[in-house]
Amino acid sequence: MAKSMNLLWGAGSPPCWRVMITLEEKNLQGYKHKLLSFEKDEHKSQEVLEINPRAQLPAFKHGDNIINESTGACLYLENQFKSQGNKLIPDNPAEQALMYQRMMEGLTLIEKLNMVVFYDFYAPEGERHDSAVKRNRDNLVTELQLWESYLENVAADRYLAGPFSLADVVVFPNVVYAFCYGLSAGRYPKLTKYYSLLKDRPSIKATWPPKWFHIEQRSESLKDI
Amino acid sequence: MAKDMTLLWGPGSPPCWRVMIALEEKNLQGYNSKQLSFEKGEHKSQEVLDINPRGQLPAFKHGNIILNESYGACLYLEEQFKSQGNKLTPENKAEAALMYQRMFEGLTLFQKTAQVLFYTRFVPENERHDSALKRNTEDLKAEVKLWEKYLQGTGPYLAGKCFSLADVIVFPVIAFLFRFGLNEEHFPKLAAYHNTLKDRPSIKNTWPPNWKGTPGQDALKDF
Repeated sequence: MAKSMNLLWGAGSPPCWRVMITLEEKNLQGYKHKLLSFEKDEHKSQEVLEINPRAQLPAFKHGDNIINESTGACLYLENQFKSQGNKLIPDNPAEQALMYQRMMEGLTLIEKLNMVVFYDFYAPEGERHDSAVKRNRDNLVTELQLWESYLENVAADRYLAGPFSLADVVVFPNVVYAFCYGLSAGRYPKLTKYYSLLKDRPSIKATWPPKWFHIEQRSESLKDI
Repeated sequence: MAKDMTLLWGPGSPPCWRVMIALEEKNLQGYNSKQLSFEKGEHKSQEVLDINPRGQLPAFKHGNIILNESYGACLYLEEQFKSQGNKLTPENKAEAALMYQRMFEGLTLFQKTAQVLFYTRFVPENERHDSALKRNTEDLKAEVKLWEKYLQGTGPYLAGKCFSLADVIVFPVIAFLFRFGLNEEHFPKLAAYHNTLKDRPSIKNTWPPNWKGTPGQDALKDF
C-alpha cells in the first residue's frame, strides 16, 4: 500500500506536513518520499511538473491517482484507509460537523498568516502599502483570537473537534508555523497549550519540519501580533 | 430532517449555491431558506452573526449543529445522508481521488476569479494598481485554460463519469465565469459542461434568482 505512494515535499510547508501527518496516522509509513528545496526552486522542476502542473508542493501519487491538494489528499487517505490506523473523521454528527468546520477554517488561518509573514511575496515592490500591512496584521489578530476562543477548553483528547482529527491535521501545522515565526506564547495561551499537547504526538514528532522557509530573515515576523 | 435545517444565503454566491445544490441532491428540500442581500450588508446582520461570527454567508444550521464553511457543509451532508438522494462520492478509487483533487483546486479557481471580478470590492482605492489587476487577470486566464484542459482529459463531469462533490463545489464558479462574459467559443469544453449541468434539477432549482431573465456582465469576454 504505502510502497505505491510517492510524496514530493518541501520543508516548513504546512500543506506538505498535513499529508505526512495523515500518512503516519493511517499507518502508511514506508511511502516513497523526496525532500525538495523551495530555495533552489526545485518545486518548479520537471519531476514535480510531471505530477503537479501547478509546480507546487506537495505532489502526491498513490499508484496512478494524483492528489496534490493537501486537504483533498488527507480526506482521500482517511476515506480509503478507514479501517486502519487512527480514525480522523468522527462519526458523531456534531463532532463531525465541527471537524469539517474547523478544518476548512484552518485554510483561512494559514492565508492570513501568509499575508503577514510573506506579504512581500504577494505584493511586488511598488504595490506595497502600509495601510495593507496594517490591515493584514489586524485581520490576523482577529483570526488568532477566534482560534483562542475555539481552543477555550483544550485538553488531552479535547482538541479542535474532540479527539485528534483532520481538523488538527490541517490546523496544528499552521499553529506551529505561527510560533516559529515569532508568535507570542504569552499573548496566546490556548494556542500555546494546544501546541504543547500535540507536539509529541508520534505522527507529528516523526514528521516535524527540518526547517522553515526564510526563517533566518523572518523569525520575528509575528513578534508583535 | 430538512425541517431542522436553516440556510441563510446570498444570490449568486458560489459558496452559498454549493450548499443549496448539495441539499437538493440529497433530497433535503424543505429546509428553512432565507435569502439575504450582500448589497444591503445583511451578511453582517445579527441574525447571521448569531450563526456565523465571521459575518459571512452561507450560514447553515442543522438542529444545533452549525456549519458555515461551504465545503464542510457539502462533505457533512454527503456523509450524514449517504443512503438518500444521489451518491456524491464515486465508488471507483481513481474517480474519488480526482474528485478530491478538483474539489480543492476549486478554491484556487474561485480565489483567482474574486481577485479579478471583485478587485475593487476588496482592494481599497489607494492600494489599487493597474499592474496588480493586469497580473490577476493573466492569472485567472491561465487558470480557466487549465480547467478547459481538465475537461478535455475527462468527462462529462469533473471527476469522470459520475456527478460528484467536485461538480457541486466547482460548477457554481464556472457558472459565475459565464455570467461575467466568458466566451463559449474560446472555452468549448467548459461551455458544454456548463450547458449540460444547468439543466440538472438540483442546479436548475437553485439557479440564482437575480440571474434569471437579466443579462450578465462582460468583464471576461476577452479571455
